[in-house]
This record gives sequence, C-alpha cells and structure tokens, in this order.
Amino acid sequence: MDMGPAAAAATAAAAPPIKVDIRDLSFFYGQTKALKNVTMPLYRNNVTAFIGPSGCGKSTLLRALNRIYEMYPNQRAEGEVIVDGENILDSRQDVNLLRAKLGMVFQKPTPFPMTIFDNIAFGIRMYERLSKSELDDRVERALRNAALWDEVKDKLGASGLSLSGGQQQRLCIARTVAIEPEVILLDEPCSALDPISTARIEELIDELKTDYTIVIVTHNMQQAARISDYTAFMLLGELIEFGDTATITTKPGVQKTEDYITGRFG
Amino acid sequence: MSARASGLYAARLMRERMFLGLAMGATALGLGCLVAILATLLIEGVGGLNLRVFTEMTPPPGSDGGLLNAIAGSLAMTALGVVLGTPLGLLAGTYMAEYGRHTRLTQVVRFVNDILLSAPSIVIGLFVYEIYVALVGHFSALAGGVALAIIVVPVVVRTTEDMLLLVPDPLREAAASLGAPRWHVVSRVAYRAAKAGIITGILLAVARISGETAPLLFTALNNQFWSTDLNAPMASLPVTIFQFAMSPYEDWRRLAWTGALLITAAVLALSIAARALNAKRGT
Repeated sequence: MDMGPAAAAATAAAAPPIKVDIRDLSFFYGQTKALKNVTMPLYRNNVTAFIGPSGCGKSTLLRALNRIYEMYPNQRAEGEVIVDGENILDSRQDVNLLRAKLGMVFQKPTPFPMTIFDNIAFGIRMYERLSKSELDDRVERALRNAALWDEVKDKLGASGLSLSGGQQQRLCIARTVAIEPEVILLDEPCSALDPISTARIEELIDELKTDYTIVIVTHNMQQAARISDYTAFMLLGELIEFGDTATITTKPGVQKTEDYITGRFG
Repeated sequence: MSARASGLYAARLMRERMFLGLAMGATALGLGCLVAILATLLIEGVGGLNLRVFTEMTPPPGSDGGLLNAIAGSLAMTALGVVLGTPLGLLAGTYMAEYGRHTRLTQVVRFVNDILLSAPSIVIGLFVYEIYVALVGHFSALAGGVALAIIVVPVVVRTTEDMLLLVPDPLREAAASLGAPRWHVVSRVAYRAAKAGIITGILLAVARISGETAPLLFTALNNQFWSTDLNAPMASLPVTIFQFAMSPYEDWRRLAWTGALLITAAVLALSIAARALNAKRGT
C-alpha cells in the first residue's frame, strides 16, 4: 500500500480497534483480475468510504466482504478477510451466518414484494423465534433506527413497494439493521435518490455508526468527505491510498488521489 | 421542401397508405373470422342451453339429455392434469431459473421443453396409449389426466422460468444478504415477486387442456354414463363434442354446439382472469 507519511501518522495516532482486516485480497471475474492484492483495515464504529472512478473495483471489494458474489459462477476471491479473528473467505465459514453478520444495502432500493412489516420481519423470523409482541417491538425499533417509523407507523400493512424511493431505501436499511448485524455494507445507497432523501440517509449513517461498523461505496467525493471517517481511494483494482478522510480529502499523499479528488479525471 | 424531395415524399405517402390498407385488411380478416366463429357458436349453442344440460347425462340418439357426465369428466381430468403437471413444471422451471441458470442441463431442458410445447397433442395421446393404456389393457380417466398433464408441464415450465428470470437479481441478493438460505430466497421472495405471472401461466395451461380432444381419444375414450372411477373410461366435453358433431342425429349435434359454447366460455373466463392477474403484476 502506498501511503503518504502524513496519512500514515494520522492513522497510527488515532487508530481504533480493527473490525474487519482485509489482507492481500484479490478478486477474479473469470480470468480477469478485478482486485489486486488489497490490504486495509475497517475500523470498529467508524465509517469507511470506498471511492474511485467507475470500474475501479470498489463495489467488487464490498461484495467480497459478505461473499454475495458466490451467487454467480466464475467469480472468486483470493486472500484473507479477517472478521473477529476468523478468515471469512474460508469455505468452512457458513455463508448465511456471515451475511447476517455483515448486512448489505444496495444501490437501488430492493423492497420485497410484501408488506412493510413483513419486509422488516423477513430476516428476523429466519433466525429467531419471537412472540408477536417481541416481533412488533423489533420491527418498530428497526424502523425507528432507520428514521422511517413516523412515516410508516400507520401503514405497516401496506406494500413495501408503495413507498417513495428514499423511503424504500430506508426500509432496506431498517431491514438490515433489524437482524442486528455487526457491519453494514452500503453499495452506493444514495445513487438513485434525490438530495433530500440523500441527506436523510447520510444523517442516518452518522447515527448508525455508534452501533455498527459501516462501509460505504460512493461515487460522490463530497459525500465521502461529509460522512466518512476513513477513506480508501481505488483505481483499476488497486488500493491507491487509505487514510483518515480529512487527510485524504485535503492533502492526499499520492498524486493520483489528488488528481481524482480535484476532478482532474474520473 | 424542395421539388425533388416532394416527389419522393408523395411516393412514400402512397406506399404508406398502401401498407396501412393491407395491415388493416389483414386485421379485419382475422377479426372477422373470429367474430364469425363466435357468432355461429353463440347462435347454434344458445338454443340448446337449458338446465338439463347441467343435470342430465348424455342421451342416446332421439331422447332428451344433457352433458353432465361430460362436464364432470372434463373438470375431473383437467384437474388431474393440473395437479399432476403443475408441480413438475413449477419445480423444473424453478431449477432452470434459480439453480441451474448457467448449466448445460438447463439449455438442453429448455430446448426439449420447447419441442414438447409445440408437439401435436395427438402424439402425446398416442404416447400415453402406448406406455399406459396398452399395458393395463383398458382406457381410463387416469390415462386422460396423465396425457393432459404432459401438455401442462411444458407450458408451466416455460412461464415459470420466464417469470422467475424477470425477477431482478438485486432482489435475490438483498434476501441472501440478510442471511437467507437459497431455498428461502426462492420460496419467500422470488416466487412472491413472480406469483402473478406464474399463476397466469397455470391458468393458460388450464385453458389449453380444457379444449384438447386428441390426447383424450386414445386415453380416456368416452363414457355415456356417470362415472367417478378414475380407472375406467370417462366422458369429456371435447370428445363428446367430437362424437356428437359427427353424428347424423339433430339432437346430438345441438348438444355438441352447446358443449362447444361451454368450453369457449370457460376458456374466455380463464383468459380474462389471467389478464386481470397480469395487469396486477405491475403493482
């Protein structure tokens, strides 16, 4: 990893505990190597942003963390991703339990074709046997956590598809929060949303980081600067620079990073 | 517009009118035939429509009677065909769209299924005759149901696969990323998203088999009496229509028209139901 001395110093000084440790991770689509030996930490209760131009591998990296890529043929990861001391890329790791621990929210809202209540209860019911009132509480708590409760509390029986785009995305966040994961992976969660909805999601991310470790992929440099504590800049499958967001956005250690954030390319 | 272009334009306009005229003529011809068929059916069939049709058995020539045994037989064998064929088609379609999407097996199954989809139904009747009727030595409603099921399977396979493929992958990823095992993703999310389309497919399969005659001729044959024995020949509307319409007896032919009207009405109702469901799919 190519790290400027200032960034390295800043990282070392304030480094909180590591939740996810990505070590020498490579990723292949068939023969194409889309990630090249990425090594970086994801710090507990912090927001880490992956930035970089389209096709740089930031979504690929995110999708390797909960092994969602395994749904498709000819995709594989090499290297290690250590979560709580265990390599989650190990084939002995149960993939469903892993995904319940590292929740994911997608680019476009993906409400299930069922009621708002059932959307939230879907994941809870899978792993826990709760009484009706306990389940009600959990659903309410999840919707409150995602700042959606006040808007939907009178229509929990309505279809999740009846909500606006921004509400749908918060529903998806609520659904992820409901199963009480430890890490939340957000893949450009605001790219399909208007500025007001985006602002709400950003506030939400800020609130959620007290309980969760958050990773967000974003195209938007300003968004990364607003909400993240650490930033990883990627280019053509390589991690160019990793450091605390303030340093990366104000005085990056690598010329390529500076070119990107000042808008000279990408 | 220049003079040169306007000459070209006039020629284009001529051609446009000519093709529009041809297209409209073809539409009118097709629609006209359909209307003529339905009108004849209505005129000829309504006359024989009365309560006896639904309460009495098929009569011998020259006496009064109805179509009760044929209606009941059609309902029974159609139900049998759907009950036998639908699960098979659903599971095969699910495999193709959800589990084996990229496998060679799926490609082969899809190809074979398309052949089966357009196979003449008389071939299916003969097939069941050979492997079942000839072996047990007698015609039966069960054999009729099996023949109809073989027609149901490819229709349901096709629509199930198509409808599941329309479900966007991010929806599956979203369910999987909550820790849902694969079968859970399929049964709770993908099926639900594709439900209206899949049910439409089943309804269309029912519509298709409710008018099939050839596969029943070699399997269930016919029965002039009330029968609930699945192991014995059973009457059905299409076969009864076939037999009665070919006869020289006026009263039989009238009953055949009425039976044809009943099937058409049932198929129409199914199509409307399928359309209504399909319209709902968008929401």
